[in-house]
Parts: sequence; structure tokens; C-alpha cells
Amino acid sequence: MGTRYLGRKVLQAILTVFFIVVLNFLLFRLMPGSPERVLLRNPNLTPATVAAARARWGLDKPLVPDQLVAYLGSTFSGDLGYSFKFRGKPVTEVIGGRFWPTVILIGFGEMIAIVVGLALGSYAGWRRGGTVDRIGNGVSLILYSMPYFVIGMPLIIVFASGLGWFPTSGMFTIGATYDSFADQLLDFLGHLALPLATVSLGLIGAYSILMRSSIIETRGEDYVTTARAKGLTDGRILRSHAFPNALLPTVTIIGINLGYVVAGAITAEIVFNWPGLGTLTVDALSARDYPVLQGIFLLLSVAVVVANKSADLVYGVLDPRVRS
Amino acid sequence: MTVVVTPASVRNERWRLRLRNARDFARRSARRRDGVVGLGILLVFAVLALAPSLFVGPLERATTATATALEAPSGPHLLGTDELGRDMLNLTVHGARVSMFIGFLATVITILLGAVIGIVSGFLGGRTDTVLMRVTDFFLVLPTFVLAIILAPIILDLIGTEAELFGIKATLIVIVVVIGITSWAATARIIRSQTLSVKERMFVDRARVIGSGSGHIMRRHILPNVVNLIVANTVLTFAGAVFTETTLAFIGLGDPFQPSWGQILNAAQEGGAPGLGAWWYIAPPAVCVVLVILSFTLVGNALDDILNPKTAGRR
Repeated sequence: MGTRYLGRKVLQAILTVFFIVVLNFLLFRLMPGSPERVLLRNPNLTPATVAAARARWGLDKPLVPDQLVAYLGSTFSGDLGYSFKFRGKPVTEVIGGRFWPTVILIGFGEMIAIVVGLALGSYAGWRRGGTVDRIGNGVSLILYSMPYFVIGMPLIIVFASGLGWFPTSGMFTIGATYDSFADQLLDFLGHLALPLATVSLGLIGAYSILMRSSIIETRGEDYVTTARAKGLTDGRILRSHAFPNALLPTVTIIGINLGYVVAGAITAEIVFNWPGLGTLTVDALSARDYPVLQGIFLLLSVAVVVANKSADLVYGVLDPRVRS
Repeated sequence: MTVVVTPASVRNERWRLRLRNARDFARRSARRRDGVVGLGILLVFAVLALAPSLFVGPLERATTATATALEAPSGPHLLGTDELGRDMLNLTVHGARVSMFIGFLATVITILLGAVIGIVSGFLGGRTDTVLMRVTDFFLVLPTFVLAIILAPIILDLIGTEAELFGIKATLIVIVVVIGITSWAATARIIRSQTLSVKERMFVDRARVIGSGSGHIMRRHILPNVVNLIVANTVLTFAGAVFTETTLAFIGLGDPFQPSWGQILNAAQEGGAPGLGAWWYIAPPAVCVVLVILSFTLVGNALDDILNPKTAGRR
């Protein structure tokens, strides 16, 4: 049973990734113009040379299956082509250089948001109608309605250009030399603070709303009544009975949510000029650097699919009922 | 097809029922104060969006701007000016029009696609259902926003930035289409599950017995019974559409000549307003975006609680 559930989920994930790669192939072939257009700008070109170039690039073969198969082969062997903007640099290298700043931003942002959001949401839901609930739920709803850059821009105005506590942009002070690793780390953390606050604040709203409604559902459950009848303290019931059960649906949403987090992180990176995938996306977008865009799309959508399916699996482990 | 004559008494009874339902709905809605407040805010923005020139005059352009650049709020310019000397109040009110209009069109596409696919998939079942739901699942997993970022420039390059449709620039239409294509899946899922339960009801069998075709049953019997869900979902989708539009415009996919709130914020970011501390350049569009999305969310949640059969009794 367990292996079959696991197998089905993994198979679904592989199929989805496969279709994403095919979609990626088709989308970018929809674009007007073709690679040989660049060559045709030279009027002295003979048809024979053009034909030779087409043959070398494999463009003389039909789109499906030949070109598709070639594309699939090179994609799965890790060859994503070459960037237009950063001349000659492989796409994997361009993306690789921007990968970790984004992972750090999203990773730590998620961690902070999960801890704070779940704590706030469960307390607010448990004491429904109380002060924490009224204020917390209101703030959460407002945060939930704010695109990340709308959170980030006021943060800059208040804490960077206003109070001067944090730098306004980048990941390190430009041209700075460091005496020690600790100095460098401190500079990095200073730059990280505001973008990280932006991503966390954006997420805390969503997670606290989810957790609150999930906790409210558990309040009427029989096992909560039973726990109360056993004479357990209120806090104990929340911690050991309501909270673990309310956590189940939230886990899935956190997995599904990654797509939105990525979108939000992109705009947060723009606001703070954080050198991650978000700023890379916008640079590639304005330069119409399609190979890089294609690579980013592939990376992000695969990441989201993996997160989604992992959430399914975790849910399956936590709740045996969904396995059947 | 035979013409069925409905007797007057039945017609009267129908109207009486409708009236009672409407009164019941109004009574239950009025009790949700958050929803009522949201609705009030939305009405204000709807009026602004319908006739912005009535309140602040025609949209100021770089050539018609009268003030100096980046003035702080003062008497003649209540909300200050941008880096071209345009009045922020003027820009923000006109931004309501673009933001709300794009949000509206994108919502219509999303809901149409979602409702049709959901109803057809749920009602016909079998292989149609399997295929449609696989497609839906695929779109559900795909990160909407990332797909939108990729689709927008491709479609723009395909049709060219100069193209117009109903007097709206292609750039904006592309945003509408992109939001529609990438966000219908969740709606389709919800509508399908409701369709599955409605189609087991007795009146569907009766309709079939008297010889109604699938198309007729879906239109006349299934649709009216899922329309509650569609309404609640439309309002929530609208919030999402405004959110996505703002974000897409912010990263530079909007149209500078028809500024939405996201587009204004993009200009503020490019012009370095956050670093200069020009809060009046950011606050008006930002506050409007948040107010509109928040209001839609409040109204949508309230409607969902009132109309959704699964959550109706809970509150």
C-alpha cells in the first residue's frame, strides 16, 4: 500500500515535469522569427550556406519528433543552451550564479513565516474573538492583500532611507573590503534583513489565516471535547491535541504555496536589488533573453512540482486516511 | 421542442420564492459587517474607475504636467507629484480605471473557462473528465506567475506591441489573457466537485427522462445550482487578478501610457523613489491596491460563507 502510493505520486511528478519540458519547448518555438533570420541579414549569403546552417542546427528536421527529441535529450543532460545577453555563457552557469541568494531569501523567509504564522494563527483561532485574534487576524488579512513589493517599498523608506539602519540595496556593500569573515557576514546580514522581513511578512499573513481557520475547525471535534473532559489544561489541549491535527491541511498548503512565494520573492528582489533569480528574470525579460527565461521557467516550475508532490507525500505519512 | 405553457399560479409562486430567497440573502449578508465594509470600498473604487476624469480631469501626461518633479504633498497637489511633475492624485485615480478594468476582464475569462470546464468535466464524466482533470491538475501545479512572466513577452512578440483591441493597447490585453489562461484551474476544480453532487439529484434524472439533452441539462439544471459557488469564486478571483496584474505591471510588463497602480509603482521603483524617501509616490497606489484586494477578499469570504453549501451552516 505504502509503496504503491509513493510510486503513484512519484510517477505523477515525473509526468508533470515531462510535460513542463514539452511546454517549455513548444512555447519558445511559438515565437516569431527563427535563428536563421540573424544569418539572413547578410545579403551575400547563398541559399546553400543557409541550408548548411539549418542542417547544423537541426532546423531542417521536423519540429516533432526530431527537434523535440533533441531538445529533451539536451535538457535532461543538463544543457540549457546559451544566453543571448551574457554572450556565450551557458544558461546553467548564468542561473547557477543567481541561485543561492534566492534560496537563502526564500528558505529563511519560509522558516520565519512558518514559526510565527503558525503560532499566531493557532493562538488566534484557539482564542477566537479575543484581542490577539481581532488584531492578529486583521493584520494578517492586510498582509495577505499586499503584494511583496508593496511591503518592501515602505520598509526601505522607513528603515533604510529614513532611519538609515539598513542599506537600501544589494547583497554586500559595493567596493567593501573585509578584515574578517565575521565582518563580511555582518555586512551580508545587514543587507539580508529587509528583503527577508518582506518575504516573511508576506507569508506570515497567509499562514496565520490558514492555521486560524484550521484550528477553528478542530475546536468542535470530539477528541478536543474528550481531552477537556479528561481535565487537561487549555494550553495542553491546544498543544497536544488541536495543533497537530490542524497542522495537516496547512502542510499541504505550504507545499502548494511555493509557486506564490517564488513570484513574491521575484518582486521583493527587484525592490532591494537582491542579486537572485528574480532580478535575473527581470533583466532577461527586458533584454528578451529567451534561453535564460526558458531556463528559469524550467527550474522554478520543477521546483514547485517537487514541493507540491513532497507536500502530498508528507501529508500521506502524517495522515494514513489519504493513502487509500 | 414543444412549448411549455407555465400557468400563472406557478409563475407567481416562483416569484414569491425568488423574492424570499433574495430577502433571506440580504438579511444574512447584512450580518457580515466585514463584507459590507468591503463592498462599500469597492463601490467607491468602481465609481472612480468608471469616470476618473469627472473627479480629477483628464490623465496628465509628461507634456501636460504643470508642477515640478517629485513635489511633496501640498495644497495644489494633495498627494504630491511624480518624477515628471504629474499630479499623483490624478495618476492614482486614473490608475483605478486600468487596474479594475484589467482585473474585471481577466476575471471574466478565468471564470468562463473554469465554469465551462468544471461543469462539462463533472457532468459528462468518463474519459472527458479524466482528460480535462489531468489538464487542470497540470495548470494547478504550474506556478501561475512564472508562467505568466514567460507567456507575456512571447504573446507580445507574436502580436506586436502596437496592436489594439477595443481601443485597449495589446500590452494590457496580453496581461488579461495571461491571467485568464493561468488561473482558471482552481475554479474548474471547485465547480466540478459541486457539479458531481448536483448531477446525482433527482431533477437531473427527471429532465433526462423527459428527453432533455446534455447541453440543456447543463445549462438549465446544473448551472443554476452551481451559480452560488461561481459568484463567490468570481469575487475571490477578482482579488487574485488585481494582485497578479499589479505584480506583472510592477516587473515592467504594463503599459506606461495607460498606467495601472502596478505600473505607477514600477515607475516609482525605476525612478528611485524608495531610496529618495518619496513616500507620496508610493503610498497612494500602494494603499489603493491593498484596499481593493482586501475588500475583494472580505466580500469573497463573506459570500463564500453565505452561499457555499459546504460552509453555509458553520458560521
